[in-house]
Amino acid sequence: MLSDVLSGVTLAQTGFPDLMGGVTLAHYLFVSAAMFVLGLVGFVTRRNLIIMFLCTELMFQAAGIALVAFGRYHLDLDGQTFVIFVLTVAAAEAAMALALTVLLFRRRESLSADEWRELSG
Amino acid sequence: MATIIHPLALYLACALGAIGVALALPRPRISPAIFGGILAAAGAGLVVVLLGFAGGVEQLPNWAFYVFSAMALGGGLRMITHPRPVYSALYFILTIIASAGLLLILSAEFMAFALIIIYAGAILITYLFVIMLATQAPEEGDLEHLADYDTKGREPWAMSAAGFVLLGILTTMLFRGAGELPVPEPVDDTPVLAQLPLKVERELRIERVPAGGGEPFVLLGEDERLQREIAPDGDVLGRLAHEGRTFFTEDGRAIELPDDMRANNVEQVGINLLRDHPMTIEIAGVLLLMAMLGATVLARKQVELEESLKARQAKRLHDARTEREGLD
Repeated sequence: MLSDVLSGVTLAQTGFPDLMGGVTLAHYLFVSAAMFVLGLVGFVTRRNLIIMFLCTELMFQAAGIALVAFGRYHLDLDGQTFVIFVLTVAAAEAAMALALTVLLFRRRESLSADEWRELSG
Repeated sequence: MATIIHPLALYLACALGAIGVALALPRPRISPAIFGGILAAAGAGLVVVLLGFAGGVEQLPNWAFYVFSAMALGGGLRMITHPRPVYSALYFILTIIASAGLLLILSAEFMAFALIIIYAGAILITYLFVIMLATQAPEEGDLEHLADYDTKGREPWAMSAAGFVLLGILTTMLFRGAGELPVPEPVDDTPVLAQLPLKVERELRIERVPAGGGEPFVLLGEDERLQREIAPDGDVLGRLAHEGRTFFTEDGRAIELPDDMRANNVEQVGINLLRDHPMTIEIAGVLLLMAMLGATVLARKQVELEESLKARQAKRLHDARTEREGLD
């Protein structure tokens, strides 16, 4: 199999069954769900704003894997197309979030999410 | 509907994962991160091994899946538990590369490379820049100093428990009946090929034997671009008339496409994206533009000049103007 990969055949064409059964799908969905939960736990427990936004990216990533896996199971390409838009939203979100973070750091010299506490009014 | 993993085993794995993640989250003093990592890995490994027993050999993903998913989950765990933000971002890059590997196994080559280019190449580099910009410089001889908000998590035990209860419910639902799902019928990609006239044409320039037998012929010569013999479908320009994998020329000759000629992933995604979702692309473009504008407006810095500087600048402008008027 390794020689296949080296000779220019992609991984997708070697060793993977042509059609994916339900149990194979479950493997990918488990990885996706575990990644999502890791991102969720990180988002709530960490107090550094940048890490919190990184955790949202991890959740996006998990959703993307689930979408592509479902698309592969149903042999449908809409899943992959949707991941492109997930990437777009992630990029937009990163730009805004990082701008806000820079703003906060300039005012308070700290990245702690608790610094936003007075926003609650 | 039977679930493919016994629920008790699944809940045990989730509990292991929850305790592991809670132990691995950063703490002010000594943190048992390695121990927690091992526990969490044991939980994930238990589920994967049990999943391995659930299907037959033909229902197992190949070895690359196990390597990539271990890298992705391990990178994710280390990302949320590392006290230093720069390392977290680097571990996230590891997770992304591993997920790109998973997408490769799922024959989503375009998405895999887009993921590496956009996420690892663009988004994460921006994150790294901001992390480095927005971290206080360590004082002399205090390189090991960590900010208080990086070393103390918010309710690690409660949140790990809540998160892994969610994971338990999610996986219970996901695994219910997964073993009985039918394998879907393969989809014919000839309609996609029919929309790629250049690709088919290139194929048809090679000498072929007609489907019904007879003299071999070249359907399209090298210099016959202007007199294409392939009939357009009538309503859609460039769509080729076909029936299954047999394509027709205007004078009725039928040509069978070779079996190994398939639309590849990039062609399929491209057609799906541009034919079925053109409006969404426009909206995505607008979204990115708005985000760019918003980020610029938010992060811009107002430069406050001192009064003496302002006065000096005004005087210089005034002098220049009187000089110019004097010259006129």
